[in-house]
Amino acid sequence: MTASVTPSAATSLTTSLTMAGMKLAVLRNSMSGQKSGSIVIGGVLGLVLAGGTLFAAFRTGDLLAAAYAIWMLGWIFGPVFSGGGDETLRPEYFTLLGIPPRRLASGLLVGAFVGIAPVISLLALAGLAVFGVRQSPAAVVVALPAMLLQLAVFVLLSRVAVAVLGLALRSRVGAVGAGLVNGAILAALGQGWVFAVALGQAGGITPEASAALRYLPSGWGLAAVEAAVAGSWGRAALTLGALAVLVALLLAAWAALLTRRAGSARASARGRRPITASTASGAVVAKELRVWSRDLVRTHQLTFALAYGVFFAAAPLLLGVHGMLPWAGPIFVLMAAAMSANLYGADGTALWLTLVAPGAADVRGRQQAWLLVVGPVAVAVTLAFSAAVGGFEPAVLALTAALLGGGAGIVPLISVYALVPGTDPHRRGGNPLRVSEDDGAMTGLAYAVLALVALTGAPAALAAWLYGWAGVAVGVVTGALSFWGFGLLAQRRLHSHGPDLLQTMRTGKRPAAATGPGRWMSLDHLPKREQIITVICWSIGAVPLFPQGIVAGVLKAGGTENRSWFLALHLPDGLQWPTIAFMVLLGLGLYGLGLWIPYRRRT
Amino acid sequence: MTPALEIVGLSKTFGEKTAVDHVDLTVPQGSFYGLVGQNGAGKTTTLSMAVGLLRPDAGSARIFGADVWSAPSRALSLVGVLPDGMAMPERLTGREVLTYLGLLRGLPKEVVAERAEELLSVLELDAAERTLVIEYSTGMRKKIGLAVALLHAPRLLVLDEPFEAVDPVSAATIKTILRGFVAGGGSIVLSSHVMALVEQLCDHVGVIDAGRVAAAGTLEEVRGERSLEDTFVDLVGAPGAGAKALSWLSR
Repeated sequence: MTASVTPSAATSLTTSLTMAGMKLAVLRNSMSGQKSGSIVIGGVLGLVLAGGTLFAAFRTGDLLAAAYAIWMLGWIFGPVFSGGGDETLRPEYFTLLGIPPRRLASGLLVGAFVGIAPVISLLALAGLAVFGVRQSPAAVVVALPAMLLQLAVFVLLSRVAVAVLGLALRSRVGAVGAGLVNGAILAALGQGWVFAVALGQAGGITPEASAALRYLPSGWGLAAVEAAVAGSWGRAALTLGALAVLVALLLAAWAALLTRRAGSARASARGRRPITASTASGAVVAKELRVWSRDLVRTHQLTFALAYGVFFAAAPLLLGVHGMLPWAGPIFVLMAAAMSANLYGADGTALWLTLVAPGAADVRGRQQAWLLVVGPVAVAVTLAFSAAVGGFEPAVLALTAALLGGGAGIVPLISVYALVPGTDPHRRGGNPLRVSEDDGAMTGLAYAVLALVALTGAPAALAAWLYGWAGVAVGVVTGALSFWGFGLLAQRRLHSHGPDLLQTMRTGKRPAAATGPGRWMSLDHLPKREQIITVICWSIGAVPLFPQGIVAGVLKAGGTENRSWFLALHLPDGLQWPTIAFMVLLGLGLYGLGLWIPYRRRT
Repeated sequence: MTPALEIVGLSKTFGEKTAVDHVDLTVPQGSFYGLVGQNGAGKTTTLSMAVGLLRPDAGSARIFGADVWSAPSRALSLVGVLPDGMAMPERLTGREVLTYLGLLRGLPKEVVAERAEELLSVLELDAAERTLVIEYSTGMRKKIGLAVALLHAPRLLVLDEPFEAVDPVSAATIKTILRGFVAGGGSIVLSSHVMALVEQLCDHVGVIDAGRVAAAGTLEEVRGERSLEDTFVDLVGAPGAGAKALSWLSR
């Protein structure tokens, strides 16, 4: 048969429209499920950030360029920490259809534009239009295509980054390298103030930095608009053309990477050491240590945590400040704990083996293994960097000890109490970062662990601050207590709720909370509209209550000149206190509403 | 004689759907019991509840008289389980999985090493010594699962679809092992939707349909003069004659 089907523009269009339709259908379905909560939270946060960007559009071009650079970094690195990004439509779904890679990539790209994140980003990119029109209404002709092209660049960069990382995670060298780079960049973002101060010493944003922001792919759209504002239409068209070429190149790169995406992350093929343990908990330690060394995703997480800690603590060296360097140890411990937050979820249904051998102390084994992996590195980094800056600080040593114990206790505890069902390792798709279907909950869990582990360090930090070296003893004691106590709680929970956890893992859904008489209705059982209202109340209630209400009140009482973004302080004098009172009431009202809706529906 | 497995009134509801509705089953000691039913009939849910992997809404399960939910340690030490489609410690090799599990079960180290060696060679998994479980084929996964179930020398085996996706040669090996296990006094419950296989292996049959027991007893009692397949189709009321051919497939 030689019947040749020429892939016409029509088929391309059909593929793209079908994919967009599929994506919409999935989104609609997930809005009624358990994911709706994280989608709403993410959406609200995104709207706040987009609002900030639009605000920047009313200030200077430099500020706007910096904001778009941050949006771009978010698109590139967000997926690394939220389970591999948007995977609603997976390339694997379409492999059997024999769609050519380029057409598949274009189709997936169109599908990728359907979603909350692209819409919010587009809103932020509307800053280009605002910025242009403010100075010259005609610039809107350039700003509109620039917005769309810039959005395409963001979405494509995100996809290409995930695909490249997926390839990197097939080898140990790649996993370590990716961890180092990601850790360094995220630490640099976290320590943005250092660079701000460094720039400040140089006397504001230098022309070089200002130009560099526009040379970044995130700044091309702005550069085009600025050219249009300046009246050099040729340069504007040229810049837009360059953006279009970049989109085409990225699309081609993504198409090429899609064809290479196959299979899950390969385990490393190093020599196999025989298990020498002879007890049940020894066997758990041996198993866990092997998982830590063989699962390249975990290798990436650990390297990331270490790189983050080291670069975060080393950044102030740029200003000649050495004091922070030893803190690399405690920061590494915190990050490592956050990265391993979903300890049980990551193993998926393998939990059944723990259930059929009820006598074994699974939690203790996992705790020991976690300590064995994180502990020596953390202690070595803390001691070496302390020695390097020529002084051992009680607070650093106390926190290292306290956080190590806290992490080893909190990680298993939260992973049995707030289990996010993971995808079984042998069923994962081609994206090794994708370990769960509920990436929003995974991200939330990581932040929860970060906060809780940090809390376990509080007594030691306080003691070290008040009493110096005695704090180290407090750190060791609280660390040991956390390890023992939280481990015990986790063990008990695993015993009493093991089958329920397994069921959660098997179905991918958290079990329906028991709704006995007098209990409040859990969020998942509320009607969708009330669910959204509740989440919004809880998400934004803090804004009027704390910064706009209480903080503004404190500042006003202190007679500050700094009005910043406190609405009340910008108003005429007579309205300031009423506004503050209104804000406090508004915040309390929002929280009250958030409580009242589920309370009203109690059964 | 205490039954090897006694299921009384097990029920489970998922949301609106009643998956298992008051199932009673008795597996006598020394029997080879086949549990048959359509996809979604409730076989896996029943077996999961019988071995403590899923909490029932009502009912109980006893293994050699020991209640699975109130005396789990004793009950679970007597049973070997092969669940369908569950994960394993994926980053371990076959030998490491057996070592890990043997130690978890509290067996002495030497015994574990000896049995692991023997199981790997009988199930022909010893050639893939350096392969991690995550890289195993579906058939190999079934075989390592069976090895895990056999490792602690249980007296009852509960196997969910043990022959699914297993090649004929491996299937023959597994059949030999299972027949030997029953001949040595062990009891087996296996679920399947392949009637020929159940007729060939089992002496007892339970038919599950829509979460209820449609028939249970010895193979002869259940099928009578007919083939198990005909009896089954009658029992579950799936009219084979009503199935239409797909007209657009024929030329």
